[in-house]
Amino acid sequence: MRQKQSAADRTFTIFAYSFILLFTLFCLFPFLLMIIGSFTDEGELIAHGYTLFPQKLSLDAYKAVLQSDVLFNGYAVTIFITAVGALSALCISAMLGYSLANKRNVLQTPFLIFCYLPMLFSGGIIPFYIVVSQWLQLQNSVWVLILTLLCQPFLVFLLVSFFRTIPEELEEAARIDGANEMRVFFQIMIPISKPILASVGLFYALNYWNDWFMGLMFVDNEKLFPLQLILRRMVSNMEAAKNLIPAAAAIAVTPPTYGVRMATTVLTIGPIVLLYPMLQKYFVKGLTVGAVKG
Amino acid sequence: MQYPLNANRSSKLKHIVRNPFLYAMAVPGLLFFLVFSYFPIYGIMIAFKDYNFAKGITGSKWVGFKNFDYFFTSDDFWVILRNTLMLNILFIVFTTAAAVVIALMFNEIRNKYFKRISQSFIFLPYFMSWIVVGMIVQSLFGGEEPMINAWLQNMGFEPINWMFESKLWPFILTVIRVWQGAGYLSIIFLAAITGISEDLYEAARIDGASKMQIVLRITLPLLVPTIMIMTLLAVGKIFNGDFAMIYAIIGDNSLLYPTTDVIDTFVFRSMRQLHDFGMSSAVGLFQSVMGLIFVIAANWVTRRVSKESALF
Repeated sequence: MRQKQSAADRTFTIFAYSFILLFTLFCLFPFLLMIIGSFTDEGELIAHGYTLFPQKLSLDAYKAVLQSDVLFNGYAVTIFITAVGALSALCISAMLGYSLANKRNVLQTPFLIFCYLPMLFSGGIIPFYIVVSQWLQLQNSVWVLILTLLCQPFLVFLLVSFFRTIPEELEEAARIDGANEMRVFFQIMIPISKPILASVGLFYALNYWNDWFMGLMFVDNEKLFPLQLILRRMVSNMEAAKNLIPAAAAIAVTPPTYGVRMATTVLTIGPIVLLYPMLQKYFVKGLTVGAVKG
Repeated sequence: MQYPLNANRSSKLKHIVRNPFLYAMAVPGLLFFLVFSYFPIYGIMIAFKDYNFAKGITGSKWVGFKNFDYFFTSDDFWVILRNTLMLNILFIVFTTAAAVVIALMFNEIRNKYFKRISQSFIFLPYFMSWIVVGMIVQSLFGGEEPMINAWLQNMGFEPINWMFESKLWPFILTVIRVWQGAGYLSIIFLAAITGISEDLYEAARIDGASKMQIVLRITLPLLVPTIMIMTLLAVGKIFNGDFAMIYAIIGDNSLLYPTTDVIDTFVFRSMRQLHDFGMSSAVGLFQSVMGLIFVIAANWVTRRVSKESALF
């Protein structure tokens, strides 16, 4: 049954809709600028800068970028570290989380403290840099990009708090039926934790996809540059965009550097934006579980 | 197979031997923390040493507090400390305020499609790397003829030389932070609002309360504990400058350092450009210690507010 709204309530509702609409446009605006900019004719970009309503569209920027080995290579590196990294990180975190959450673990308290302290106190980036590059000699390898982000305390504790909500009886019943630890973990815990595992795995994947700090610190070899690092070089350096355009690609008199910057950005965020509608609910779930359970 | 309640050392050991898998599972994760978190904590000693690459961490000469003296007596110290705290306070205040308003307004939206689509777009910026954000900022404010200036001139304002005006950047960074983080935070607030009992709203409606009154007298007050907890968590990290954000946006533009250089970017630069490992790790140690004090203090306060929300 719908009650008739008072005038004040109606005004309030209109205000709510307008506010959300405006904020949505504010959030959306840079994306529009980027996408439209990547399709705008270079001459117009040079004359007027990026605009939402270009007069002349062009595919030159994409034509140039898609012929580029540099970008292709960046994609390969990023996809590799994201796939291998997120899967390994998820396995390691799920196993650690299960062990930490299990009441039968006699070392539970020392283990928990061991994983907790890094959240409170860190050695800082200088000792970290020395450990990774001097002790482990990991610099300039694709593994440094994977190993350094393999385990995040926040996501491990998210899993711990989830595993704790699973009734103990479930595990005990399986144990009485003769299932060993490995079977309990793989055949009972993993299947019922699928949604939270998806959330955690996606957070790891996002983290790998978006990382550039580890590359900045430890990778000089341009062959190993992930997408984000290739993009970073272009942010302040107009010339870097030209490096992406192969000499053979004689597209226009002026190489589309402004367009290329935007096209590369669009291609960098592309997979996230395309997969986002499907994945959004897992992100929201992960966030709200973390927020409610601390 | 029983959980050993009064386990002494030997029965604990027995449990480990009998259930090796339960413990082995934890090993890769624990090793990660040992190598990438605990080894660097051990390495903190270089803050008290004259670090020499060839001699390594243990072999370098001890110099006491010399590395600290140099930094704490410099003018840089106060500038970067002020910037770190000021930027974080701006970020916390404006992001929280925006997120609260978004969550409250969002709760009024009844149209399913409008709701789903707008939430997707508001949350989307959180998924962008700071490099992508840096590229957008550069496209708007950088170059010979910044795009923002074209708009300003269209509206009849004077153009501004953005890359020289360091005073404006704390505000620009705050707007960027709200753009990036408010949607994320609003989802947490919205989850808290969803948890509020429907009975309260029903009672208020029967008593003839207007929508605005319901928001101000029921939803907002009941949201306050969550707001406090999220704020306290953020305050605990107030000494951590957001390196990824600031470095990706400001980069090496030294004209903007007076208002945007934070502890983390300063440390990174002294390592990269000056190769002063001793001094930069002294600054890093100062930051870690202050950070620890703030986290413990924030946690102490959080425990007072709501015990189950405390970190430890």
